Amino acid sequence: MPKCTIDGKEIEFSAGENLVKVAKKGGIEIPVFCYHPGLSVVAQCRMCLVEIEKMPKLQTACSTPAADGMIVRTQADSAVKARAATMEFLLLNHPLDCPICDKAGECDLQDNSFGHGSPSMRSTEERRTYVDVDMGPVIQKNMNRCIHCTRCIRFGEEVAGIHEMVAVKRGNNLDITTIDGKQLKTEYAGNYSDICPTGSLTLKDFRFQKRAWMLKKTDTVCEGCSKGCNMEIQQEGNKVYRCVPRENLEINRYWMCDEGRFNYHYTQDPLRITRLKGSAFSPTPHWDEVGMAFKKLANGATVQILIGTDLTLEEMQAIIDFAKTQLPEAKLFHFGTPGVRRTTEDGPLDQILKMKSKTANLNGAELLGLSPLETEIVKAESVVVFRGGRAALPKIDSKNIIGVGVFKESEASGFNMILPSLAFTEKNGTIVNHQGKSQLLKRAVLPVGQCKPLPEILMLVLNAKKREGAGT
Amino acid sequence: MAKILPEVFYNEMKKLEPRYPQRKALILPALHEAQKVYGWLPSDVMDEVAEFIGVHPAQIREVASFYTMYNLKPVGKVHLKICTNVACCLRGADELMDYAEKKLGIKKGETTPDGLFTLSEEECLGACTTAPAMMANDEYVENLDLQKFNDFLERAKK
Repeated sequence: MPKCTIDGKEIEFSAGENLVKVAKKGGIEIPVFCYHPGLSVVAQCRMCLVEIEKMPKLQTACSTPAADGMIVRTQADSAVKARAATMEFLLLNHPLDCPICDKAGECDLQDNSFGHGSPSMRSTEERRTYVDVDMGPVIQKNMNRCIHCTRCIRFGEEVAGIHEMVAVKRGNNLDITTIDGKQLKTEYAGNYSDICPTGSLTLKDFRFQKRAWMLKKTDTVCEGCSKGCNMEIQQEGNKVYRCVPRENLEINRYWMCDEGRFNYHYTQDPLRITRLKGSAFSPTPHWDEVGMAFKKLANGATVQILIGTDLTLEEMQAIIDFAKTQLPEAKLFHFGTPGVRRTTEDGPLDQILKMKSKTANLNGAELLGLSPLETEIVKAESVVVFRGGRAALPKIDSKNIIGVGVFKESEASGFNMILPSLAFTEKNGTIVNHQGKSQLLKRAVLPVGQCKPLPEILMLVLNAKKREGAGT
Repeated sequence: MAKILPEVFYNEMKKLEPRYPQRKALILPALHEAQKVYGWLPSDVMDEVAEFIGVHPAQIREVASFYTMYNLKPVGKVHLKICTNVACCLRGADELMDYAEKKLGIKKGETTPDGLFTLSEEECLGACTTAPAMMANDEYVENLDLQKFNDFLERAKK
């Protein structure tokens, strides 16, 4: 493999890699604004200037492919000076409003200014100001903070496939806006906020909710569809504030869709049922009594067990094992997305990330040998529904319905009993995406209310049944 | 999309097309030609130019707003563009601008209520030897002073 030397460190690289990437491999960070590994290279912010031996001028590291034997100095006097000058230039018009800016704490501009800029400013001129256009429900724009890196424009053009952000006018008056001030249409708008190196594009959803440095981060996977985009849940005080994508070049690269990004809201919905919910025979039920409900099922009645494909492999297996011993005559089906019953019916919904199956573990359900629910309406004497919160409930025509999992008030109106279980933010488990890749969900927040892990609920049912059996 | 640009535009384009092997280079003359028709560039006209050239409408917006000689708002019958760049500035362009604003009763970038004059500030017109200079529509008015500017307005009003 060819080698180059950056700051006296010999680093191996493969042909075609640019200096920013190569330096990163060696643990050397070259500051960037306009460069993003997932977008085309434009080299217009001039922040990544480095000195390369035998080159007359400083070069932008992002647009210079590493060459064998190249000697690069990121800390040469000329490079340090040039970067400080670039920083000063970029801050000419940037407001000093970090204390009230949502990006503060995770802001490239802030970090690089601290690392490479000067603590004081020579400019005494007035800063330009803008009146902002409304960019729709996802993104809040503040043009005053923009440094014209054009990452958002390139993201729209190259990744989201919709050229909706434009740079109009020029020089000091440049304005990043949408065509004729229209609202953003893309379903991937949240990424605009992720890639913005300043607080110019922020999420309306996250705006003024929490300071970035207070958030605790958990690496997990999105449960929005069978793609299995890698993401990070950011929470504080047991409340999820936002989800952001994690890099995974084999699945979602650097992006995620808005549906997945804002999906977590249902777990914190005030209408989510988080307490044991009553039934005809016990209006104020206790966990000890749940066995009775299941006992009633087992009394010879035809039972159908519906398993949501939004559950993890572990949960599904626990249900299957439970059914085998406790409800041996019951029929097991999996359900998830209307119209997408098998992985063969699943497929990409658009050119980017979204998949047709709106649950994460359809593949997993098939691996465990579950068969899909073929009918639109479920007819049985008794039905037990296990659901993670995202699978679309089928119509159920039964007198005795028990729900286990995450339900909203409106969804579970006809249910006789609801045993609240965990949503994807609250549990560990494995899901298998459409490519057959197993990925781990990780617990980011603790369960709320009376919610219990699904295996524990099954165990309680077992114990209760045994106790009652012993009593009679 | 229904075509709104007239036949004249497309005839002119047909003549120009062979001169530009890079089709994107045709954007500038096409926009000039479209502006000749309407006096300015409405949004749907830019969309049609984009379709004709074969680029995204966003790129046309970026080009049209980059150059100051494309009007993105309707302009008056006479579009006065006063140069305020270095050479003209040294020869009194700022005073001329102030005078023009007072005389016409409008600020730069605005149009008189009767729709006759639009006043705007222009960067270098390349007429440094005859500074201060002004462009009125496609015509150069050079070696300006307040008297000369006044005379020009009187003539233009007729």
